[in-house]
Amino acid sequence: MEKNATWESDAWGSSRGWLAPRGARGGGRSWEAQIRPTFRPGPSLSSVLNELPSAATLRYRGPGVLPWGTLVEEVEDGGRSSRAVTEATQKELQEPHPSRELPWPMQARRAHRESHARDQVAYGSGSRAAQWAVLLRRSKEKMRANLHALQPWAWTLKRIGGQFGAGTESYFSLLRFLLLLNALASVLNACMVLLPTWLEGAPPGPPDPDTSSPCGSYHPYSQGLVTFPAQLFYLLSGEGYLEWSPLFYGFYPPRPRLAVTYLCSAFAVGLICLLLILHRSVSGLKQTLLAESGALTSYSHRVFSAWDFGLRGDGHVRLRQRLILYELQVELEEAEVRRRAAVRTLGQQVRIWSVRLLLNLLVVALLGAAFYGVYWATGYTVELQETPVVQQTPLLQLGVNYLPSIFISGVNFVLPPIFKLIAPLEGYTRSRQIVFILLRTVFLRLSSLVVLLFSLWNQITCGGDSEAEDCKTCGYNYKELPCWETRLGQEMYKLLLFDLLTGLAVTLLIQFPRKLFCGLCPGALGRLAGTQEFQVPDEVLGLIYAQTVVWVGSFFCPLLPLLNTAKFLLLFFLKKFTLFSTCSPASRTFRASTANFFFPLVLLLGLAISAVPVLYSIFLIPPSKLCGPFRGQSSIWAQIPESISSLPQTAQNFLFFLGSQAFAVPLLLISSILMAYSVALANSYGCIISELKRQIETEVQNKVFLAQRAVALSSANGAL
Amino acid sequence: MGGSGSRLSKELLAEYQDLTFLTKQEILLAHRRFCELLPQEQRSMEESLRAQVSFEQILSLPELKANPFKERICRVFSTAPTRDSLSFEDFLDLLSVFSDTATPDIKSHYAFRIFDFDDDGTLNREDLSRLVNCLTGEGEDTRLSAAEMKQLIDNVSVAGLGLAGPGSGREGWTCGLKPSHSQILEESDIDRDGTINLSEFQHVISRSPDFASSFKIVL
Repeated sequence: MEKNATWESDAWGSSRGWLAPRGARGGGRSWEAQIRPTFRPGPSLSSVLNELPSAATLRYRGPGVLPWGTLVEEVEDGGRSSRAVTEATQKELQEPHPSRELPWPMQARRAHRESHARDQVAYGSGSRAAQWAVLLRRSKEKMRANLHALQPWAWTLKRIGGQFGAGTESYFSLLRFLLLLNALASVLNACMVLLPTWLEGAPPGPPDPDTSSPCGSYHPYSQGLVTFPAQLFYLLSGEGYLEWSPLFYGFYPPRPRLAVTYLCSAFAVGLICLLLILHRSVSGLKQTLLAESGALTSYSHRVFSAWDFGLRGDGHVRLRQRLILYELQVELEEAEVRRRAAVRTLGQQVRIWSVRLLLNLLVVALLGAAFYGVYWATGYTVELQETPVVQQTPLLQLGVNYLPSIFISGVNFVLPPIFKLIAPLEGYTRSRQIVFILLRTVFLRLSSLVVLLFSLWNQITCGGDSEAEDCKTCGYNYKELPCWETRLGQEMYKLLLFDLLTGLAVTLLIQFPRKLFCGLCPGALGRLAGTQEFQVPDEVLGLIYAQTVVWVGSFFCPLLPLLNTAKFLLLFFLKKFTLFSTCSPASRTFRASTANFFFPLVLLLGLAISAVPVLYSIFLIPPSKLCGPFRGQSSIWAQIPESISSLPQTAQNFLFFLGSQAFAVPLLLISSILMAYSVALANSYGCIISELKRQIETEVQNKVFLAQRAVALSSANGAL
Repeated sequence: MGGSGSRLSKELLAEYQDLTFLTKQEILLAHRRFCELLPQEQRSMEESLRAQVSFEQILSLPELKANPFKERICRVFSTAPTRDSLSFEDFLDLLSVFSDTATPDIKSHYAFRIFDFDDDGTLNREDLSRLVNCLTGEGEDTRLSAAEMKQLIDNVSVAGLGLAGPGSGREGWTCGLKPSHSQILEESDIDRDGTINLSEFQHVISRSPDFASSFKIVL
């Protein structure tokens, strides 16, 4: 007994507490027998602690079942005590929980539900408010269930998530979301652009090649017989009969009402996309903000949420186990690295920072070279198109037409693997490396598109110089680009098509043969080369890039969202088929939570980037004088003030007020104040959390002290 | 699907829908899969509700066969007095907790029970080291080394005793206090008692946004 008392006081002294006494239960642990050879009479510390209210849900396991955590000895002497415990537990949990949220077995929940129903009846149908609350909750749940059932492919997504992990599922979920966006955009475009066009009479045909104006002449195609290769060429490059079709901007007649709806459709589509993306990213943001700084809880997360319970198949499970082992070892190693880094000497620090600087310079150089290549390719295309060799062979012509797209795709293929090779050399931890790789790849993808647009802008506006010879008369380069909006739309159309073709080619020509042939290869080489994973980050960035292209192009090519809907639909089924036939479950380097937060953010970035060229064209570049619904205006936007002036006076005043500074400045001030308030609130919550944590620690020490006193007192009483 | 005897009645379906997080389709599918595990004569509706399926049969389901936690899952959800078989309602409980729509509270509660290998209501060092061994594989070459396990779980020893996981039994009694770095207990054990109880576990899990999506089994 003295050993007991000294042990407990010792344990109380050290902050690591009373592990040994707690562990003294039935169950073969050899070292315990050495410490505790005798069975203590009276209630033990563990049984006292088991009776605490906080362990209530743990204890009760259902009628007729032993409370969880009981000892064999306690059962022998106190079948009554366990029954008393279960009854007490039932009384404790009187809060009106819905039955299915209680962590009890089915029978217990059924009993709880029946007793709850009886109580409700006994109290005379409770209070009005409680009833209404229950009804409201049930109807909300039903509505949510119906909405979920409306979403297509829900079952497929669940199956994918179960077999390949949450990261892959997030890719397909994003694809489905983008499909919805594109479908909405195409419907809006059809209603606001196509319908008004035909409502006021069929639009006229292409302008005569004979007519000429101070801004040159524009003849999109020559009527007459077209050979089949030429037809294919026209289809792939958007020229010929496609150029003067509802597909492109130039086709639409200069009717004022059509002009207004055309412009409004662009803004409406942008606004709806923004709202939907924000709605989607808010839930991801909430989850990520809830998690405190990752460095603080990385180990617990890695261990507790490491296992994906949906994995099945021995091979996949072993693969995942190996990955987890590797990750844990890497993480422990990194802790060592971090500890060593903290004690790094000045010389070592200088060395590692110079290495990092060099590598970053290398990355910048590579990116610069890539961008220059894209810029050069776009400019060179026009020159190449003039040479007679190219003009005679349609295949070469097609190749030259697609030169910018080929260059961009090539750059996007080659550079990301180089980034992946460079990153380990920088001496950062693995998680930071992944962030850096992602950031660089995102930058590469979106910037190559920006460079393409920049070179096009250069061509259209003669480098921004409105006094240059080519641009003086009409404000844009009318000799090379008589209808520059259509040309812009064509470039985006070509990018979309080429993206689809490369996707198909990669799947059919690389992934399937690799799976087939490497399945026949013997041994380790076959397994290494044959196991393909679904690279979630790369695929998602590809999706975002494709969507940004469509957003840029949809003002100049109103049917582009419709084409993109078809393309994404095809992509969904293609990727799903590839996934199930050739891929194995992906590693855990990309978590679902990061995906849910990071990817909508990049999507927003893409939307912002796509808004710039569109807004610039609307406000600053004079529209073509020979094509489109805005011909003859000084700028595309000029149509709107004209239409506003035809509205009643109050409406005019209100709209002008919205655009004035008297509205914008107070709005800005109020937003800043709200933001400052939210930041202050968040900080105070953080302080409250640390304060509460400290309180918990103190309370536990109190609890242990009291429980030990209780045990000491009762055993003293028993001994008497 | 078999004869009318093996279909669940409407009232029973409605009751199960109320008491679990499963949809009607999922309950019917679960019943079908459960009946496939039973011998032919027990496949009628009344019999299937009363029948108990042994662990070996449940563990033959492809969803559970390769899961390293399969025995713990079966033990936690079993309400039989001998804790060695599952009834249909236990099976529904299992699927409900692992379903899409179960609340994170319920999931973390049952995850805690599954990880508590010695069923004592807390996660102590041995539970944690057994958990890590399950995660990395039980073979000799797939475990973390003893030093790594110690570093992972905790580095501080108590009053001269070296408490270590099962793999380091050879080390015996190591004395001395070493400062610990951010490891599991350091991160999750708020009250510093050397074990993780239910509320601490739930607190850690609530900050892990991946937990709900990884704690899922779909039939």
